[in-house]
Amino acid sequence: MCNSAGLFVLLSAIAARPLAAQAIEHQRLRARTDSLPRELTRASAIADLADSLEHQRAFSGRDTIAVGGLRIVTDPSPLPVRAAAERAWPVLDSLYGDAAQLLAQYPYVIRAFDPDTTAPRPTVYVGLTVPWNMNAEILAQLLVANPPMPAPDYALASWLGGTLRPTTRAGRERTDVYLQLVTAPSTPARACFLGALAACRIALGLQSGGDVLALWYPEAAERRALVTRTFPDYFNHGANAGAFRVCAGGVDSVCDALLRQVSAGSLPSPLGAQARTTVLRLALRLGGRDAYRRLIADSGAPLFERLGNAAQANMDDVLARWRLEILAARPPSVALPWWAAALALAWAAVFGTCALRSSRWRLG
Amino acid sequence: MFRVMLYTQWKWSRLIILLGTVAAFALPIISLQGAARADRNPLEAQDLLRTVHSWGTLYPVLAAALGLLVAMAGWAPDHRGRHVHALTLPLPRWRYVLLRCAGGAVLLAIPVAAVLAGALFATATATLPPGLQGYPLALAVHFGLAVALAYAMFFAISAGTARTAGIILGVFGALVVVQIVAGVANLDVDLMSPLQIVVLGSAGPFAIFTGRWMLVDV
Repeated sequence: MCNSAGLFVLLSAIAARPLAAQAIEHQRLRARTDSLPRELTRASAIADLADSLEHQRAFSGRDTIAVGGLRIVTDPSPLPVRAAAERAWPVLDSLYGDAAQLLAQYPYVIRAFDPDTTAPRPTVYVGLTVPWNMNAEILAQLLVANPPMPAPDYALASWLGGTLRPTTRAGRERTDVYLQLVTAPSTPARACFLGALAACRIALGLQSGGDVLALWYPEAAERRALVTRTFPDYFNHGANAGAFRVCAGGVDSVCDALLRQVSAGSLPSPLGAQARTTVLRLALRLGGRDAYRRLIADSGAPLFERLGNAAQANMDDVLARWRLEILAARPPSVALPWWAAALALAWAAVFGTCALRSSRWRLG
Repeated sequence: MFRVMLYTQWKWSRLIILLGTVAAFALPIISLQGAARADRNPLEAQDLLRTVHSWGTLYPVLAAALGLLVAMAGWAPDHRGRHVHALTLPLPRWRYVLLRCAGGAVLLAIPVAAVLAGALFATATATLPPGLQGYPLALAVHFGLAVALAYAMFFAISAGTARTAGIILGVFGALVVVQIVAGVANLDVDLMSPLQIVVLGSAGPFAIFTGRWMLVDV
């Protein structure tokens, strides 16, 4: 009996030893895990302090130039900041409308450096660093391309593929969208080109809910093209390589299954970010000076609704107008202009005259 | 007189014209290969444009080759006979040259017409996706102008003396040599870019060879 009890105690002690060790290890890991939020808070605080110091460094001892709602903090230099701001402000104001006044709270920081010196420049983390001999036009373009507007909400930013910025090449962008409409391997894009506004809504990614893959690429050939051309690197290796080959061979159900592995957000939309930007710009243009404010007011509403609110118009009318604008931006035809044909004939005549006046036979 | 000269030139250059005509007729049809298939997916507009663009690079090459070969064939017998026959004719030189030039130009109209016929046939039989259009006439006009220019230039060079041709080649050769030497010596001299702008720029003599040679476009 005593021996049995002793053996039991001994076995228990042996069994409990790893358990105890595990418990200690568990506690140690738990403590380390618990310390992570503390470390994150500390790191965030240090980062905030660094940012604050950097901002202070960026803003201290510099001039502030105000043009309209623009505020530009810069150091004294020959850089034509005011002239550039006077050019940039109307462009920004025309896009953001009254919301452009927000820029007064988010000044640009511009540091001018001497382009002729080889002395190392101090590293800056806030603002733009430009050579002081930059001309006003280019500096204005720089200001227009980098407005320090607060970032839009996630839904708008992800639909747009970034932030909304003014453009100086609106005509060219519309022409690019025309090419997308004609060449996009997607039925909605083609139907939109032919005049179906509901298809435009789908092609622009303005639909709410639904099966994105089925809406954007309803035809089997389109899905096959998507697998074999857009995602070949993703699918054509490892476990998916066999299915990829079967899909490329024409088995549509396999293509469909492969594409279902990709999240809806990763599918390329029939019309790209450029097309979406053009429709947003149109909505803002139609909606007047308060359009941008209305656009960002309700970040929870569907984008179709938000764009309609911004434009203060029926969204189908906006899409119809957008389509007409895009069709009007059709690129010039490949036919030669009359002057090019005339020039070619003139050069041919010049060479012909040279032949007539050749030195051969000049015998007297 | 013109008829006789045209006939002699036809005899000298008929092989070039025949081969050129076949190539000129086939090129637009080949460039739209597959577009006429019934099972073609009408959504493959981008692929179609890419194919047409790739084949389009051959039009200026064909135009230049036809211009060069017909111009050379037009003068080769005269050069071989040291122009004795031409000198025996009761014609001023300018008229003789004009007749020769016109003869070659008439013969070159055949491949140009073949491009037009091939392009019309290709676009009529192809299934083009909506938004894309055929430009057979524009392509044929472009090709015709390029052929005319190439022919005029090579005709002028062939009509001249070997010395003239030597001077032209020598000038180009000297420019290339200077550019190479400057490159070796690490000198910041760029002769080729300005030359390219002058020759291939929008007002340059060879601007017609540049641009988009598209049978089908948006």
